[in-house]
Amino acid sequence: MITAEWKPIEEMVGYLRGHKKVLVIGCATCVAECAAGGEREVETLAPLLAMAMQNDGNPVEVKSATLERQCEPEFVEAIAEAAAEADAIVSLACGIGMQLVAERFVDTPLYPGVNTTSLSLREEPGLWTSRCAACGDCVLGLTFGLCPVARCAKSLMNGPCGGTRTDGMCEINQDTPCIWRLIVERATARGRLEDLTQVRPPKNWSNSPAGGPKRMLREDLRS
Amino acid sequence: MANNSTAEFQPRITLLYCRQSLAPEVKPVQGSRTGQGFSVRLVLLPCSSKVQLPHLMRLLEQGSDGLQIAACPEKACQHLVGSTRAEKRLNRGRELLEQVGMGAERLGLERGAGLSLEDLMQMAGRRADAARALGPNPMKGV
Repeated sequence: MITAEWKPIEEMVGYLRGHKKVLVIGCATCVAECAAGGEREVETLAPLLAMAMQNDGNPVEVKSATLERQCEPEFVEAIAEAAAEADAIVSLACGIGMQLVAERFVDTPLYPGVNTTSLSLREEPGLWTSRCAACGDCVLGLTFGLCPVARCAKSLMNGPCGGTRTDGMCEINQDTPCIWRLIVERATARGRLEDLTQVRPPKNWSNSPAGGPKRMLREDLRS
Repeated sequence: MANNSTAEFQPRITLLYCRQSLAPEVKPVQGSRTGQGFSVRLVLLPCSSKVQLPHLMRLLEQGSDGLQIAACPEKACQHLVGSTRAEKRLNRGRELLEQVGMGAERLGLERGAGLSLEDLMQMAGRRADAARALGPNPMKGV
């Protein structure tokens, strides 16, 4: 899922100074799963913002809504009336959802209530860890289903790097396992360690986010 | 946040209490009561874990000066982890209240078993004392 984390409330207060009617909107999909922008978080943040603005000397009227999906135009229409009454919108959706709302209600300032952080897996309650970097050239077939792009601090294509701790954790973050250690262990368990010694062509990084904005076109799906 | 009206300030407390924390002979009560220098609204819950952050924040937005949760002792929760979950949510709520300048002490949790109505009123009174130190909820009357 796409994960996000609340911005500091102080930052949101800074955005909202001068506004009088604020609409806080959430999204019931990814950001709800990572407890950043679902209905529960929206209904927590809305009163908090009202209190924060009151204490800041800039009282605002805060309304709230949670969309089924903030990244689909059909669902965004559900807040058209509320958005028309607001003079600012705070969105707890990922950056995709935020931008769609900003495009749809172009005259109303939209402010982010979250930072979109990663494509992660919920490992256990309250813990999400990166699994994908949307690099555009998936290597999972070569790395035994473990992603070195998202899960190695250096995104190494050949590892381990030599900085692995003695307990098998990453030298950069002691809470993160060295993914190349896990790749080697899985390859060994399958009796295919030799696969990792094969020389491979360079990874195509031009299809990664560093290659600029993506445009995916499927003629068979277009009307 | 305390102001000049603190001396006359009679905090309005909302006390959310777990049904299981009462003594067996105590009949659950709901509604408003008046204590020594404060008023309290008693809200009965099937388990303290039913408390969610939106409930707490809305109550404060609507003008409660303080919220007290009465939960069972940690190892006596009928739902095993209910009161632990309530406490974790409450701690998160306290952090958020501090961030918005409301004061963490507006929110509290006490544990107890075999509680009487008088025990609940005393818990509310302790939260009233904490709220009194912070002054009236700035959202009151907004």
